[in-house]
Amino acid sequence: MIRPFGINEFWFIVMAVQWTLALSAVAFAGGALGGLAVALARVSPIAPLRYAALGFIRLFQGTPLLMQLFLVFFGLNIFGSGINPWLAAAIALTLHASAFLGEIWRGCIEAVPRGQTEAAWALGLRYYDRMKSIVLPQAAKIAVAPTVGFLVQLIKGTSLASIIGFVELTRAGQIINNATFDPFTVFGLVAVLYFILCWPLSILARRMETRFAVATRR
Amino acid sequence: MSVTNATDRAADAGMPAVRMEGVDKWYSTFHALKNIDLEVARGEKIVVCGPSGSGKSTLIRCVNQLEEVQKGRIFVEGIELTAGPKNVEQIRRDVGMVFQQFNLFPHMTVLENCTLAPMRVRGVSKAEAEETARKFLTRVRIPEQADKYPAQLSGGQQQRVAIARALCMNPKIMLFDEPTSALDPEMVKEVLDTMIDLATEGMTMMVVTHEMGFARKVADRVIFMDQGEIVEVAEPEEFFSNPKQERTRTFLGQISHA
Repeated sequence: MIRPFGINEFWFIVMAVQWTLALSAVAFAGGALGGLAVALARVSPIAPLRYAALGFIRLFQGTPLLMQLFLVFFGLNIFGSGINPWLAAAIALTLHASAFLGEIWRGCIEAVPRGQTEAAWALGLRYYDRMKSIVLPQAAKIAVAPTVGFLVQLIKGTSLASIIGFVELTRAGQIINNATFDPFTVFGLVAVLYFILCWPLSILARRMETRFAVATRR
Repeated sequence: MSVTNATDRAADAGMPAVRMEGVDKWYSTFHALKNIDLEVARGEKIVVCGPSGSGKSTLIRCVNQLEEVQKGRIFVEGIELTAGPKNVEQIRRDVGMVFQQFNLFPHMTVLENCTLAPMRVRGVSKAEAEETARKFLTRVRIPEQADKYPAQLSGGQQQRVAIARALCMNPKIMLFDEPTSALDPEMVKEVLDTMIDLATEGMTMMVVTHEMGFARKVADRVIFMDQGEIVEVAEPEEFFSNPKQERTRTFLGQISHA
């Protein structure tokens, strides 16, 4: 019954990387849109918007990602969407990323000197132009490094989707381990694959942080 | 068209550029402006001075509502600023401001700094905005810096760009908030000269500054503020040679030692 760990098992796990990447990409893209909305709401002059965004952030920062996955997974089931691990994982991770990126980017927006906004006001620029042309481009420069850092966390976070049955890298490892009973080899490979995905990003983040630090010194 | 303009001008003739009526401002419990009444005529140059924390910056920052007031009314070019956000938007288009820290947009070239607002706020075409920008950059004597970024310029050059940027909106009033305070001494003159040019051309100006030479030369009236109050208003000659208030005398004594 027990299979040896062979080339087919190896490729099964390696091919599952694409689902980890797909889930990460969807969550990151959705999280970027959601995060921008949350960040803008957090710095909005409209108080109810600020509090709503704050509540959203606190909720997702204060609960484990696994619980968020469970709640969306079982919640979708209650609302009649059936059992759909891919949809549930995509929604939960998008919400999760929206909250975290929203909070990261709020900090970056607030790091843009107040004088920039005042100069924009004084020139009569309206909210849209102020944000699009003045504040956000400067915040984006500050945001690159922490955003890449969060992306690393997000890629690793997708491994939790294995628990609701989405076959990504970790779940593929579990499946092969159940057949081969060779956990050290299997999860060793899984870990190496995560490392290959995340390490270059970590280096990139550190390099950009250094470059930004040099650019802002003076 | 010309008839309307003529009537407008006739009706406008007596209207002050800025009028403040019983203005009070608090920062939480700190009373920053106390019952300010002030009229600034069109074309008038006002210098506002006073010790730090006296409310002089707050005063001019109220004219384009960078600071909101809690009491009183402010009119700019006959439009009530304190009547709502629509008016604030309209007034900000017509009131230029120059800041102590320049506040140029660091991610844009000098030319882009100068063309952004005319294009986005006034709807001017890019070509026209650039032509106007180059005209004003020439007037502040740095036409050759148009394609550089602010960080590549000296402080004095940056402040002149800031003046050009404000002028590109064709403002009716210019506010200056300690425009030379962040500059190295050798760059103060080039900025003051630019401001003197502007004054000579008849611009309405409100200037917060410690440059008393500038005040003597350019100001129609000097306002001395202390602890949120306007303590004394006088023509510069009178203000410097014969100040009426004790607090003014103390202040002038202190800065003449500097």
